[in-house]
Amino acid sequence: MLNVLLWMPLAIGILCLVLPHRVAPWVATIGALARLGLAIGLVIGFDLGVSELQHVVDESWIPDLGVRYSLAIDGISVFLVLLTALLWAGVISFSALRGHHEQRGRRRLFYFLLGLGETATLGAFLAQDLLLFVLFFDLMLIPFFFLIGIFGGRDRIAATTKMIVYTLVGSLLMLVGAIATAILVAQDTGELSFSIAELRANLLSTGSQEWIFCFFAAAFLVKMPAFPIHGWMPDAYRAAPLPVLVLLSGVLAKVGAYGFLRIVLPIYPDATVTFQEVVMVIAVASILYGSVMAFTQTNLRLVAGYSSVAQLGFITLGIFSLRSDGADGAVLQMVNHGLVVAAIFLIIALLYERARTEDLTRMGGLATRAPVLAALFLVVTMATLAMPGSANFIGEFYILNGAFQEKIAFAFVAAIGVALAAFYALRLYQRTMHNRLPEGAESREISRRDSLVLTPLVACIVALALWPGLILERGEASVEDKIAAVAEAREPPVAMR
Amino acid sequence: MSATDWAWLVLAFPLAGSTVIALGFRVLSAKAAGWIGTAAIGLAFASSIGALVMLLDEPTEARQLTDTLYQYASAAGLEIELGILVDPLSVFMCLVVTGVSTLIHLYSVAYMDSDAGYRRFFSYLNFFVFSMLLLVLAGNFVLLIVGWAFVGFASYALISYWYRRNTATTAGMKAFVINVVGDVGLVLAAFFVFRELGTFDLLASFDAASETFTTNEGVVVAICCLMLVGAFAKSAQVPLHTWLPDAMEGPTPVSALIHAATMVTAGVYLIARMFPLFELAPTAADIAAFLGLATLLIASTIALVVTDLKRIIAYSTMSQIGYMVVGVSIGAYVGGLFHLMTHAFFKALLFMAAGSVIAAMANVQNIDRMSGFRRAMPLTSGLLIVGALALAAFPGTSGFFSKDEILAFATDRGGMYLIFTIGGYIGALMTAIYAFRIGFRVVSGEPCEEARELERGHLHHAEPRNPATGEPEDTEVGFPGPEHQIAERRRPMAIAMAILGVGALFGGVLQIPGVTAVLEHFFEGTFEDSPLFHLVPSTAASWFGLAIGAVISVAGIAIAYYCYVVNPGVTGRLLERLPRLHRFFARKWYFDELQDALVHRPAIAIGRFANSVFERVVVDGIVNGAAGAVRGASAVVRGAQSGFVRAYALLLVGGFAALGIYFLVAAS
Repeated sequence: MLNVLLWMPLAIGILCLVLPHRVAPWVATIGALARLGLAIGLVIGFDLGVSELQHVVDESWIPDLGVRYSLAIDGISVFLVLLTALLWAGVISFSALRGHHEQRGRRRLFYFLLGLGETATLGAFLAQDLLLFVLFFDLMLIPFFFLIGIFGGRDRIAATTKMIVYTLVGSLLMLVGAIATAILVAQDTGELSFSIAELRANLLSTGSQEWIFCFFAAAFLVKMPAFPIHGWMPDAYRAAPLPVLVLLSGVLAKVGAYGFLRIVLPIYPDATVTFQEVVMVIAVASILYGSVMAFTQTNLRLVAGYSSVAQLGFITLGIFSLRSDGADGAVLQMVNHGLVVAAIFLIIALLYERARTEDLTRMGGLATRAPVLAALFLVVTMATLAMPGSANFIGEFYILNGAFQEKIAFAFVAAIGVALAAFYALRLYQRTMHNRLPEGAESREISRRDSLVLTPLVACIVALALWPGLILERGEASVEDKIAAVAEAREPPVAMR
Repeated sequence: MSATDWAWLVLAFPLAGSTVIALGFRVLSAKAAGWIGTAAIGLAFASSIGALVMLLDEPTEARQLTDTLYQYASAAGLEIELGILVDPLSVFMCLVVTGVSTLIHLYSVAYMDSDAGYRRFFSYLNFFVFSMLLLVLAGNFVLLIVGWAFVGFASYALISYWYRRNTATTAGMKAFVINVVGDVGLVLAAFFVFRELGTFDLLASFDAASETFTTNEGVVVAICCLMLVGAFAKSAQVPLHTWLPDAMEGPTPVSALIHAATMVTAGVYLIARMFPLFELAPTAADIAAFLGLATLLIASTIALVVTDLKRIIAYSTMSQIGYMVVGVSIGAYVGGLFHLMTHAFFKALLFMAAGSVIAAMANVQNIDRMSGFRRAMPLTSGLLIVGALALAAFPGTSGFFSKDEILAFATDRGGMYLIFTIGGYIGALMTAIYAFRIGFRVVSGEPCEEARELERGHLHHAEPRNPATGEPEDTEVGFPGPEHQIAERRRPMAIAMAILGVGALFGGVLQIPGVTAVLEHFFEGTFEDSPLFHLVPSTAASWFGLAIGAVISVAGIAIAYYCYVVNPGVTGRLLERLPRLHRFFARKWYFDELQDALVHRPAIAIGRFANSVFERVVVDGIVNGAAGAVRGASAVVRGAQSGFVRAYALLLVGGFAALGIYFLVAAS
């Protein structure tokens, strides 16, 4: 099942390359919806309360290097897989429904790249082998490099260059870290293996863990991005086509946070404990800095972009509270943030069509003739600012509770970010939808084809608000397993060594 | 059906009403939306009575019932369920909220008649009531916070309801952000409770608190202070009150709803609900009481000088909530909640009457322009005076008994608490003066142009303008439509006001010292464990307090009569004599400016700095510095012809490959 899910996007992407122009988008859409069905099936069939991996695929791949082709899901990844399938389905159908005007006559390439990107992302979420994870993680970069470089807006070349420089550094550091981990462990055990379970069973010495931790952390924090290594984000967000931005911000950013839970906590537990406060400081700084920047930006994309920096800060804070409630909240928040930020970028695309600008100061009054669009946007805005009653609130509540019980000062400082979020999110809504309509802008109701994508997305946000326990309960056991790995490092048993 | 079943229905009707109106906005006629909304709240009121009846069937000590619908978000050691708590306090709040809200809905059906956004209005209005009911029925901290924040959201939506008005959207945002600050306070308090007591459940945490904490222990004081942040933001107490006067940008029925039945009373409810914690933290309770007193006095002075009719009533609300906060903080739970109820009656009535007058004035809100409406609008004028009498605590009216219940309790506790008695009476004098400043200005005197026009049978019309800025209104959305509605001509408005008038006059009978003690007996189910609850002033002392209150009330009305009827020039001369004081009051003690200078501007300045300096120099500096170094290196190695990225990537790949090889070699 996982094999089908993983390779289908690439297969259909290749198919799209050879199909006629008119057919390719619809084939891609059908494929994406089929994968969404598969992912929903995974969630329904998920065995609750078990921390073990499920749907395991484990084949030998490169026996000489101990690399295995091993895939599986657990409570942490199952909803991220669903999120990936959902947002890709949303973006592909959104693009297919709107025709080709954003694709510069190369729509077949567009759908191929999207397919490749989905395979790479799903691979990163499914991989249970360290090297396999690193390969998929790096593979993600390639389709997005072209998606922005070919289909992007002004200054796209400079923006992609900057993005590549940043993320490539991180990726290579991670590659080195992965190889070093396996080899150093092999020195002890005599057998080269990249299996995450094996590496977890044979931990490195504290000193080695620490520098390798830094390599991995750099890769993941750049990907999110976290303050102060978010320099690639503003340019890339300005240049990227909005559907691509949905994926970049909605899914790819989560891979970084996911990597901490999947790899760093179990394999480098001693280093995690050592660097806990450092990462928490980075997380809180991201929250505050992202929020402050979000309410001074006038470009819609950057408001959403910096708000993501803040939100990913919350997620990181939850994971590094090293408590199961904080980390479980982080898992929930990854899904929440993916949903709302996707909806926001799609809405920005609609707003642009109406106001002919992405500059907040030149917008306004778009709600007048568009009650449905305004209502959808309002729901998304409230979820973005983590309105109590939304799943985002429950996510933040769990995260902050984890931080509070662990290191109270961090929770108090991070709480400022909650109040700032209210300000920037509401400003985004109000400056676009309310007040008077400026010259040249036109208030128009959302079209049926656009609402076909946006309404289900908002419905997901509302449904999750009614029952955030859906994710929390499924993530609980797996998260506790990861936290347990760290807990052992905190209080080493007396008998050992 | 049990009391909890009725309570679920109390929640279900407004939510269903809001949803039906929202989803059916294209199908439903405007009239249908209005009546569905009103019926939903009416049914919620009926269900509240059902809950009351079932609750009274139980013996006093068993009147705390809980019920859970489903596990909302329980995992990883946190138990958060969708559960309610039904006890005398929550049922009392449900009754007041739904009762007064039904009448406000009824009034709105007519008042908002020609507004283009009629359906949106009723959907929000129902949601507002739902939020408030969720707040008072919540059985755990998380659900309480959810209801708490929903109220904030609903108030935002309704304050900026006329969203083409720049002033309205700004006011809505201000209300929302200040309310979120309050939410954060509550969230942090909940974390403290969880850390110390291990639960988010209200009753369970109260039980655990009495065993865990000693009186005035640091933690419990911290919990209560954080809760006060929430309570003060919502109840518009100093220093988190600045959103409330601006909230007058919303339609007048919204002002009535926010100020009378819902929202601002939430803070009072919170302090009363958390009494087991506040009694363990007397320091926090005293802080609350003193800030309540400060609010009471500050707001009264402002209400004496501002000229906008709705804003005078708004400051009056702040001041009256101050009384309630003093009450529940010093332990006068019955008095505080009693005043909450009577205030809901007379304040809703005052707002409705004001709405009617403002409609007759074609949206002019300045009381200096109003006079002599007694013949043109006899019903509105009469009910306005009834409301003013109750506000001024005129002997026999509802406000008379409820206000003095609080002050008598303060006297009875004695010592430091006498400050509250004295401050309360000073406030009462000012209250009587400003209440009849409104009353005499609007009702008596030479009829103004609009009043004369109305006497001739024609309702005044004018080009709609924003009363705050004077800019022409956008009549499409952004103004209550081309028609104005007054109580004399619209039966729903008249009925709603008349019922409230009866409540404002006779609501006091529930709790007359030495005669009736209905509320006191009823609340025993909630407060029986509180030693302060059982502290009841003697009947003689209460009547002595009532006598003083009566004298002050009559004196205040007499002063107002002298200043505004007998000798109208006297206020002008006073103003000339004390210009500085007047300016200080009229600028609202400069709280807005203070907030601007301390919070808003620094935040914007930090943002600007981050944007223009930090982002360019530091964040970009990292990559530019790295790129520069690589460029330098690549120039050395192979000349400057290649792009720096390629060189950079190559260098990295090469370097890291070397590292990898090193490890491979080391391993073998």
